[in-house]
Amino acid sequence: MNSQLDVAIAGMGLTKQGRRLGISRRELRRQALDLALTDANLQRSDIDGYIFIGATPEDLRYLGLSPAFAYSLMTGGASPVASILVAAGAVATDQARHVACVYGEAYSSIPPKLNPHSNAGTERDIKAYSYGYPYLYGMVGPAATYALAARRHMSLYGTTSEDLGRVAVTEREFASVRPGAQGYGQPITLDDHQDSRMIVDPLRLLDCSRPTDGGAAVIVTSSKRAADLTDRPVEVLGAGTSHGIESWWNGSMFESMNVSRAAQRAFEQAQVGIEDIDVAQLYAPFTIATLMQLEEYGFCKPGEGGSFVAAGHTGPGGTIPTNTGGGQLSGFYATGFTPLSEGILQMRGEAPSNQVVGAQTCLVSGSGGNGGIQGSWAHAALILGAAR
Amino acid sequence: MIPVDRPLPGDVVEDAIDQPFWDACRDHVLLIYRCRICAESFWPAGCCPQHGMQDMIWVTASGGGTLHTWTVVHQKYSKSFTEERTVVAVVKLDEGPLMHTNLIGSNGIDLQVGLPVGVVFQTIASESVIPVFQLRNQSETSAPR
Ligand SMILES: [Zn+2]
Repeated sequence: MNSQLDVAIAGMGLTKQGRRLGISRRELRRQALDLALTDANLQRSDIDGYIFIGATPEDLRYLGLSPAFAYSLMTGGASPVASILVAAGAVATDQARHVACVYGEAYSSIPPKLNPHSNAGTERDIKAYSYGYPYLYGMVGPAATYALAARRHMSLYGTTSEDLGRVAVTEREFASVRPGAQGYGQPITLDDHQDSRMIVDPLRLLDCSRPTDGGAAVIVTSSKRAADLTDRPVEVLGAGTSHGIESWWNGSMFESMNVSRAAQRAFEQAQVGIEDIDVAQLYAPFTIATLMQLEEYGFCKPGEGGSFVAAGHTGPGGTIPTNTGGGQLSGFYATGFTPLSEGILQMRGEAPSNQVVGAQTCLVSGSGGNGGIQGSWAHAALILGAAR
Repeated sequence: MIPVDRPLPGDVVEDAIDQPFWDACRDHVLLIYRCRICAESFWPAGCCPQHGMQDMIWVTASGGGTLHTWTVVHQKYSKSFTEERTVVAVVKLDEGPLMHTNLIGSNGIDLQVGLPVGVVFQTIASESVIPVFQLRNQSETSAPR
């Protein structure tokens, strides 16, 4: 399948992902970049564009890079997919030949620091995830935002906690056979889900992902160069983004992840339909996000996400295997690099478990409840194609 | 019990554009931001998507609305909130805008989307009053608004 965009992914690096690795964020980025360079058969000097997912003082010196440009990009969980698009633009305008999109976070570790240092002032509220005025009312962290959407979904469609639970069980089934996943060797049942404690009603513990540490890097180049570098490039067939604060004005904020505009552009560009998608990797840090996106992308009708998952469509051997590495719930949480990295592996035919045989197309999504006082569901859709 | 050290409006927004709203709360009056060209209402202050900030004005809202969605926060993510269980709600004001708030006098059980609610003002610090909501009984809901 050839890309309309003439853009492909020539290499990927994925470090160990897990809880309390005790490795700094910057070092995780360095490891991911080195893995990606080796994967793409490239040297440091070949990287002439650098996109850092997040915001931090630049780390080019530590990474040993001197590119034509280096950008910091942050639009929440939509950032990794957005970085592929920004890289594609740089390649198309001949500003760079090989762009590295790099992520590394150590959410669950206290970063190792030089001694002596002071612990004063390190304890703080997670205000960064409180989105303005809602924080006045005790709304803290992304789970509460998704809980408001889950409650609305339940009210509109009769969705139940069990419907959410089946998403957790299905994604854990994928993770339980994926070495390195958080849920490896630990399948769960619906009863386990129902017995898990309430976090932000109606979301229980097993409806929520846990932050993990890890790095990821992807190298974007032209389709032709990618084909010269590797025998398994992944084509970028289409992409789209949407940053819809309008959902706050029109009242749809808690009923929609703002998929439609991003999806329409991505599918038009890729010249495929939803029925042509072989495997899906959805940005879903909470179970409700999987249901909402299955409906909004059109894999099933609005309100039917629960029965769609219950029928096994998204599980191993289903009609649209979804989050085949365990996703963010049971695999690892590397923001949008969780779905993106698994999509790349699937398109290469190299998924360590649950490879979807003959898969030619993969939908990858990214979503961020950021930007704007009430959060605004930034969304990004990406359609990847196998070059086989 | 008034929780200690909870955030105040000025802690979470970087400028004073909403100051009239918070000042009015001290007088137990709920304001909304209205575009006088198209009569659309907004909270918090911001541009009308049709008309920008050409002719915006703070006007008094009815104080009534309906429960749009809610969650009960069990996990103590924040040290700033000491209540046992907080009901965080989104209310759809009668004038149209959505507003994050607390639903007081409710344990979060037996709630339904669409239940009528009314504003109550809660003093959270000496000079700081925030609007919260409580369920309205049936006789009140039949009153014109
Ligand atoms: Zn207007």
